[in-house]
Amino acid sequence: MKEKFQVGQKIRIASLAEVNELVRRRLLDFGITEGSIVLVENKLPFSGPYILEFKGTKIGLRRIEALQIEVEMP
Amino acid sequence: MEVALLGNPNTGKTSLFNHLTGSYEYVGNWSGVTIEKKVGLFKNKMAHLVDLPGVYSLNPLSADEAVVTEYLLAGGFGKIINIVDASQLLRNLLLTIQLIEYGKPLIIGLNMMDVAKSYGKKIKVEQLANLLGCPIVAISARTGQGCSSLAETTANYAKNEKELKVNYGELVEKYIGEMSELVKAKTNIPARWLTLQCMAGNSAVISFLNMLVGKKEIDQFLQDAEMEAKKSGKKLEDLLFEARSNLVKDILARVEVIEETNKETFTNKVDCIVTNKYLGLPIFILLMYFMFMLTFDWLGSRLSDVLDGFIAGIFTDMVSGILAALHVSAFIKTLAIDGIIAGVGGVLVFVPQIFILFLCLSFLEDSGYMARVALVVDKMMEKSGLNGKAVIPMIIGFGCNVPGVMAARMIETKRERMLTILLLPFMSCSARFPVYALFIGAFFAKHAALIILSIYLLSIVIVLIMAKVLSSTILKGEQSLFIIELPPYRMPSFAILFKSTWDKGKGFLKKAGTFIFAGSVAIWLLTYLGPAGFDVKMDHSYLALIGKFIAPLLHPLGFGTWQAGASLLTGFLAKEAVVSTMNIIYAVPNVHSLQHLMSEVYTPLASYSFMVFILLYIPCLATLATIYKETASKKWSAFAVVYSLTIAYGIAFIIYQAGRLIGLS
Repeated sequence: MKEKFQVGQKIRIASLAEVNELVRRRLLDFGITEGSIVLVENKLPFSGPYILEFKGTKIGLRRIEALQIEVEMP
Repeated sequence: MEVALLGNPNTGKTSLFNHLTGSYEYVGNWSGVTIEKKVGLFKNKMAHLVDLPGVYSLNPLSADEAVVTEYLLAGGFGKIINIVDASQLLRNLLLTIQLIEYGKPLIIGLNMMDVAKSYGKKIKVEQLANLLGCPIVAISARTGQGCSSLAETTANYAKNEKELKVNYGELVEKYIGEMSELVKAKTNIPARWLTLQCMAGNSAVISFLNMLVGKKEIDQFLQDAEMEAKKSGKKLEDLLFEARSNLVKDILARVEVIEETNKETFTNKVDCIVTNKYLGLPIFILLMYFMFMLTFDWLGSRLSDVLDGFIAGIFTDMVSGILAALHVSAFIKTLAIDGIIAGVGGVLVFVPQIFILFLCLSFLEDSGYMARVALVVDKMMEKSGLNGKAVIPMIIGFGCNVPGVMAARMIETKRERMLTILLLPFMSCSARFPVYALFIGAFFAKHAALIILSIYLLSIVIVLIMAKVLSSTILKGEQSLFIIELPPYRMPSFAILFKSTWDKGKGFLKKAGTFIFAGSVAIWLLTYLGPAGFDVKMDHSYLALIGKFIAPLLHPLGFGTWQAGASLLTGFLAKEAVVSTMNIIYAVPNVHSLQHLMSEVYTPLASYSFMVFILLYIPCLATLATIYKETASKKWSAFAVVYSLTIAYGIAFIIYQAGRLIGLS
């Protein structure tokens, strides 16, 4: 199966509706919301967390939570 | 007057606090929680400055964020200094706006302009100040540049001249009007701020309003507002966020000049390596190895040896010389030499090692690396039912369990926080190290590093196993999540590094001067007195009687002597007291002669079993008190004691008995 997020790829957040409430609120605190364009900077091995980058802020996010973000290609 | 210092995490808040105040006036606790409340006096003595935990928003997700909201609700301060990271204006300003809405005079300290510049961003400071309606002082919290100007501005600034009003739309404004009616004359906090916060689902503000106005009214209020918002197709919370974020974007478009630079930042380069697929974990292990070698081998133990020589030699001679010249009684003389110097000195010897360890830990904390560790180990931790973030309190726990237990508050979900707190006492703190050092020196001098490594590895294995066991039994259920900011790497300044090392290490010195001192006197007295009277033989003293009571229980573990029993009891007060007690009981002048004596009393296998028992057996008194405060539960605190005793006994038993079976001694 093709990975949902490719490292080095820029994604646009389409919806955060499925994301865990606490995670969603933390993302909002960082300024990330629907429509934000986020860079998938890195991915840790063995289905580990993703590193996302948004306007100079780097965020580590567990894979299972990251996959709940609905994205589209910008 | 009190001035509150507020801002996002990792913006240089603590550095700014130090520059503005010089030092803490006092460090207290916030009511109900053990989170430190640091208060200092401004250098110009015009007001007190309160250092609050760094927060991303006023809508609390974790325990330390709740402290900030509670502080705002209590309202006992006059002005706010808001430290803002110029390189990450967007999310910093989202918080700033909520603070401005609170209505108190607000002064912005704009930090890290140089970092912003390196990202290719220039900020028109004056224009930003105009748009926000509050003064902005450009500062560098690292060098202290601009800090005196910030203090001056704060002193002279009395009222926000222009009120910044976010356009939240008609609907929200209507409800703000309604709220004003509800809270009229009941509080000094602006109704606007209260409305916006409660509409955003801020639990602390909602319960504040429930108390003030009545739960029924507030429930109705929120229900109505949410219903009406739904008609426009949006959730209330999103409506507020969008309004704020649109304003910030609008402001940024006007004040931020972006000169595109494509050069890769230092942080990205480092992250390429330390969060690398293959290198991440090995680098972490290597760094830990380096830290422990520096502390326990390369540097620390050498300094400790020098100090040991000094205390047992010159210092003891000097004190006995002075006592002899003063013609004090033999009682006082033995108390001073065999009680106090042996007890307190035996612990002070380890000061260099403990300070080196704390220095390393401060460096790891302040450099930004800890967040990467959390990221790298998250997968492993998830498998045992923990959260990657739990590794941060645990590493801090290597220094001392007390701040480790407190650091667990950054974990958002209650279950994972509780789990982390319960596992923390298994992290081998620096106070346990003197005990290992004593036994390793006596029995395993040739394989010192290997033995100490095995102890630390054992503690980590136990933590992972127990995490799995607890999280699939009594701490089951509830969600687990992991999201963490990875702050840019920063080289911590030496001044800050030494200050935080001192802040951590002075607790150990204080303990030596109070707890260990008093304990040493008490223990010595218990060895000096016995049922037969004064100056009895050690084996007939009260301490021996107490120790003999426990000894049979310890027999299957290989150390069923009254001396071991008695020192384990004192170890509950503070782990390093085990060494103090042994120094006094065996009445030897220094660590080396104690080690010689040990090798006659213990077998190597029994000594290893003893070390493992010390590692696991009980949280020390200070840690237990912290666990009680943080969990606010007698049940869990009692559980922490009972289950660790059980595990310690079980594992020491297995090690000793299995070791004998395979022919070790």
